[in-house]
Amino acid sequence: MAIMKIKELRKTYLTHERGSSFLDSLKSLVKRKIVRVEALKGISFDVDEGEMLGLLGPNGAGKSTTLKILTGVLYPTSGEAEIMGYVPWVKRKQYVAGIGAVFGQKSQLIWDIPPLDSFEMNRAIYNIPTEMYKKRLSGMVELLEVGGHVKKPTRQLSLGERMKCEFIMAMLHDPKIVFLDEPTIGLDVIAKERIREFILEMNRKGTTFVLTTHDLDDVEKMARRVIVVNSGEIVYDDNMDALCRFFGNRKLVNLATQKPLPDFSNMSGVFVRNMITPHNAELELDTDILELNQFIKLMNDDYILSDLTMKPPQIESVIKELYITTNKTTIK
Amino acid sequence: MNDLVRVVRQQYSVLKAVAFATYKEWSVYRSHSMVSIFVGPVYFLVQYFIWKAVYNTHVSISGLSLEQMITYFAIASLINYIIMDFADWNLQMLIHTGKFLTFVLRPMSHVYFAFSQKVGHRILGVIFEFIPLFLIFTFILNIRLVPAQPFWAVISIALGFIMMFLVDYCVGITAFWLTRTSGVRRMFLLLRDICSGVLVPLTLFPVFLQKAFFILPFQFITYVPIRVFIGSYELGGYSCTIPQIIAVQAVAVLFMTAFTILFYKQGMKQFTGVGA
Amino acid sequence: MRRSIRLYFMALKNSFASRITYRADFFFSSVMIFISELFIPFITVLIYKTGASFPGWAVEEILLLQGIFLLSRGMANLLFFGLVWNTLNRVREGSYDILLIKPASTLFLSVATNLEPDSIGVAACGLLVSFYSFTLLPAPGITDILLFLFLFVLSLAMLFAFALLMAGSVFKWVGNSRIYEIFDSIASFGNYPRSIFSRGFQTIISYIIPIAAVGFLPASVLLGKRPEGILTTAAVCLLFLLVSGGFWKLMLRQYTSAGG
Repeated sequence: MAIMKIKELRKTYLTHERGSSFLDSLKSLVKRKIVRVEALKGISFDVDEGEMLGLLGPNGAGKSTTLKILTGVLYPTSGEAEIMGYVPWVKRKQYVAGIGAVFGQKSQLIWDIPPLDSFEMNRAIYNIPTEMYKKRLSGMVELLEVGGHVKKPTRQLSLGERMKCEFIMAMLHDPKIVFLDEPTIGLDVIAKERIREFILEMNRKGTTFVLTTHDLDDVEKMARRVIVVNSGEIVYDDNMDALCRFFGNRKLVNLATQKPLPDFSNMSGVFVRNMITPHNAELELDTDILELNQFIKLMNDDYILSDLTMKPPQIESVIKELYITTNKTTIK
Repeated sequence: MNDLVRVVRQQYSVLKAVAFATYKEWSVYRSHSMVSIFVGPVYFLVQYFIWKAVYNTHVSISGLSLEQMITYFAIASLINYIIMDFADWNLQMLIHTGKFLTFVLRPMSHVYFAFSQKVGHRILGVIFEFIPLFLIFTFILNIRLVPAQPFWAVISIALGFIMMFLVDYCVGITAFWLTRTSGVRRMFLLLRDICSGVLVPLTLFPVFLQKAFFILPFQFITYVPIRVFIGSYELGGYSCTIPQIIAVQAVAVLFMTAFTILFYKQGMKQFTGVGA
Repeated sequence: MRRSIRLYFMALKNSFASRITYRADFFFSSVMIFISELFIPFITVLIYKTGASFPGWAVEEILLLQGIFLLSRGMANLLFFGLVWNTLNRVREGSYDILLIKPASTLFLSVATNLEPDSIGVAACGLLVSFYSFTLLPAPGITDILLFLFLFVLSLAMLFAFALLMAGSVFKWVGNSRIYEIFDSIASFGNYPRSIFSRGFQTIISYIIPIAAVGFLPASVLLGKRPEGILTTAAVCLLFLLVSGGFWKLMLRQYTSAGG
């Protein structure tokens, strides 16, 4: 069942162009040039209850604008949204009582006092019944293993410990939907793992998550569905596996041969990633164009294989390609 | 009716929780607020010597005797520790750092949040600044600090507390439109300090200025509470009874509350990009 | 030394340049500071308007005192008082270490990396008030002017000593932004003629915490009044500067050895 229905969201900013020279700034006092920036050009998608959605896109693509609109912080220029029966930017207060949000770079905890005191404050603000508060608090503290930390002043916590507490702060009131913005930024590997496990666990228990991030590991390890935004438009919306197949069936091949390799420029379906030595190369193989067994046969016959390893393509390169190609099309 | 009781109770528990968290937060720095125990008497002593010298040849200046003048400064400094705040600084900081976003995501208005914070912050101020200073003024400097009509004095100080918050918060709201606010803030705080009578009694100013002060909201912050404390009100040639001026103060606070809410809504529209 | 001076002027230039990026706010802010600093002279005029006075001092004489006091404060704020805020903020955020790893004197860097252009408003206000009252007064003799210049430099040294004391204490008293109020309250003694204070306080502000050297002494000399104990006060000031410098060094050493 769709918990979130987004239709044709648009956001256009009007900003003043400001020159850099002294003369420009004097001119700007009298007459300012107004620039239209189309941050969102009409995006639509639905999210089902219990989903785990990753929202990807390069800087300035419209991710944060989308997130701000969905959390009720920003009014769209046009378009519709219905989340848990609310239009987020109308009746904002009632709406935000049912959602949670964690921003990797904007802390909600009070710096000088223990997280536990900040939690107590949120208990009053969200009017959380005592029973539920205790239950949720102890559950999450256990899951995140921060029992020893919630009573220490926030400023004494490591970034990882603090982020874990940010999650508790944001989820004490049992929100149905939680929005995450760069939740693992700057964390070490262990803290990242722990937080991802926590998110997955909460997701299994029914919380819907919308995640924006630059960390593709986050997406790979958590999201089942990905929306890629670029230049204010959705350029991709499907599940993770499909994303990897988006540009055909590609494989990363590391090849070692006894005879020196050719430069592959006239072999269709093969792209050189890195020519390590004349006998060793990293290639990308498009198996829709050149089948794998054919490729191996070709290589072995002409150059005599001594080693061959294969990997699926890294999501990074797929995303990069997605960003670049979609940018080209929007420029056109 | 029951609904109303529930809402009030809920709002009260929010105020209590936020105030308590703020109290805890700032009590880490209680050694900082104890700076006041030194600074308060020193500023006061300078004033004491100034006015003692000035009154050498005069019995009364702008209608106040030396004793009244000295008492005025003692009360002004004490009241200030009950009602001061940094609502303006805090709000503009939240807006400029983007942290304000996290407050928009909570199901309460930031005006109320900030007010609750002030309550917690000032409870700390009363304990670590007001009470020690009151004792120093009373027992070491021998100044009689008993309000003429305690009930009205408490009401008036409470209204001053709210008024100070509203004025400062409104100054902070300007940060929704301005990327740099230090100039604007300086202007308003200067205006506030001069026109609220915290630096010198307003009756010292020329009459035309006093008349201007009368219609500005600032006198209701400090000047009115001090005069209520002393037991006589006068400004710009008008004098009223204590209940009368408190009624005026209450109306001014209501008016300022309405203005703050409207201004805040305007600011939120800017922040959330309505119509953009 | 030459390099330091060049660096210092570069820092001064840069701090103005970066403040000018927000020129409207900078201008407005300086003007507001200018106006707010006019407040004490303004009140003094109001007092004299009622017919009352500080015994033995004419209104223009007081204004000269307050103007010179403001001028020293303004110059101190502009040129080196930022040391206090800089140390305060950097120690709190933990970025003071950046100054320690640079190849220049730590004290010099603490001063030069945080100059306060807005304080130009204070200095301008002081200049205006002094100049205005100066024109109303008889011209001083050449010896008085020389003595004044000496005492004015001394008053800056005195303010620098205060800055060192405050900067030194925020190494320990982390994040105490109210430290400035302590200074400000003590300094307010310098805004008025020494004779209005009781004997005990006169002794304190002349020979113990010689704040009388800022404002009062230089102004008195320029007015042809030769207040008693100028030399003693001057000596105390220098001693004060030495002690403050020693204190600052001690606190810095404790800070660096505490580590973390």
